[in-house]
Amino acid sequence: MESEWLMTQYRTVRLPEDLCTEAEKWLTGRFDNLETLISFLLQEIVKDEGSKLDQLEELLVQQRLRDLGYL
Amino acid sequence: MKKHSLVLVTVDCLRADHVGFQGYSRPVTPFLDSLAQNSVVFSDAIVAGAPTYFSFPAIIASRYPLGLGRDVLGIAPNEPTIATALRDTGYKTAAFLAGNPYLSPRFGYHQGFNEFHDFLDSTLPGECIAPTTPSKKLLSDLNRRMQAVSHRTHLTATAYDELYFWYCQLCSRREAVSMDQLRRYPAADVMVDRASSWLRNLGDEPFFLWVHLMDPHHPYYPPQEALSSLGTSNISARRARFLNSFWKRTDIGPQRLQRYRVEILSLYDAGVYWADKQISLLVSALQHLQRWDETVFVVTADHGEEFLEHGARYHAPMSLSEQLIHVPLLLRAPKLLGRRLSQGPFSMIHLAPTLLEAVGAAVPDSFQGRSRWEDISMGNLPNEAAIAECVEACNNPFRVDDRIRPRLLVIRDREYKLVIHFSNKSDCLYDLKNDPGECSPLPTGVLTSERVRLLKLARVHLQNSRRSRNTAFAVRARLRELQQSTGSKPEQAPASPVAG
Repeated sequence: MESEWLMTQYRTVRLPEDLCTEAEKWLTGRFDNLETLISFLLQEIVKDEGSKLDQLEELLVQQRLRDLGYL
Repeated sequence: MKKHSLVLVTVDCLRADHVGFQGYSRPVTPFLDSLAQNSVVFSDAIVAGAPTYFSFPAIIASRYPLGLGRDVLGIAPNEPTIATALRDTGYKTAAFLAGNPYLSPRFGYHQGFNEFHDFLDSTLPGECIAPTTPSKKLLSDLNRRMQAVSHRTHLTATAYDELYFWYCQLCSRREAVSMDQLRRYPAADVMVDRASSWLRNLGDEPFFLWVHLMDPHHPYYPPQEALSSLGTSNISARRARFLNSFWKRTDIGPQRLQRYRVEILSLYDAGVYWADKQISLLVSALQHLQRWDETVFVVTADHGEEFLEHGARYHAPMSLSEQLIHVPLLLRAPKLLGRRLSQGPFSMIHLAPTLLEAVGAAVPDSFQGRSRWEDISMGNLPNEAAIAECVEACNNPFRVDDRIRPRLLVIRDREYKLVIHFSNKSDCLYDLKNDPGECSPLPTGVLTSERVRLLKLARVHLQNSRRSRNTAFAVRARLRELQQSTGSKPEQAPASPVAG
């Protein structure tokens, strides 16, 4: 995992200082640092496997209607 | 004008056909039957999902269970609910919920309540852990090994399971037990006592009270008094323990389970009876406090219960049979004429906005249902289809992986029901008028126009579910869960990529 990360390009983002300070207080014992926390949260959010199933289910109903000759 | 107060009583696992005012022949709900005469009774109330964790988002927040994505469980942080809407308009709010782990602050159900009691930290009389002795540990290890060896062939596995079940029964026969010791959830009298006490300490302000009762929920251990009142006092605590143990066996088929179905139903019915009796005491308390006349009073359920009608027990999200999605719904409101509404199904997605309008409160924009208060007041419900959904086979929703599975979707109108199993890409159409037991799905090619009509509704529901998703709520809910699961350092969190 670490080697993958080392090959990745990085981007600098701006966050409010007081928010970062609060988050750093919260992450103690949970994450190594603020970058790790934010990366983890973003990964979890973009993963969104449920949405892929939603789209698939919509397509299945459309296909069924097509098979019945109504689309 | 003084604002109306609101009482919402939800009874876990209460199916529509086990209450007298819906035609059940056993006198299990004498109080609700009499209350029904002066109330609006919805003959065909359909939950938006089952079990509890897929049902309550609609009841409390008027949102379909998968409306924020199937990975979201419960109410999202800051998501408007019936409780937040009423608290924000000056209502005193309280919830007394009988120990259902899914109705807890962990899943956001506390939001909007001045007082919230989920009874999850209460110790029940029979709850104690027997100390492990060296000899017990030795026996336990030996048993585990025997189980592993015997489960190598079907024949020896069957023999082992049978012997082990009866061995356990033999061991437990020596213990003295009572129903109260065996019960897993606080009984309805505890909930009603606490709720009544809260009511007594209220001032004149309007209030919203939510009481959730677990008495008909398995394991079925009703108070002995309830069994006696129904003429089934011959079922002792010991017998009830045996029945519950047998009923939960997974190593035998429905045919053998069927043998004890009548007694299991007696236990379940006694739970319903006890809930009914305690609801009558809650109403008495309201009357005594002179709050009854100004109160909108609602009794319903989050889902029903199966007793082998389709081979299954309890209420797992393996099907959305009528036994699971059809629930009783009774609404009593000041100046509202008692009547029965049976023109079409009433989806529980509409309950919260309807109740808010009934007490004159504004309905939050995020609610997916629409108030039917005007229709109800006129004694006329539109005949529109109700939608119920769940994640199929999601038996342990605490695990995210269990939730990322195909949906089970039901489109149900007055006459027809379409069940779509996305897991095996099949859909079954039932003609409920001629096949109320959902025994024979209609073959493809029969009543195609009805199938297509309901499929089109399914398509619209799926489209809306994805496109109108409130991303902010969904993200907040997922972050809440992450926070709960990262109480300690998460293993999956990547190591820091760049130092400094």
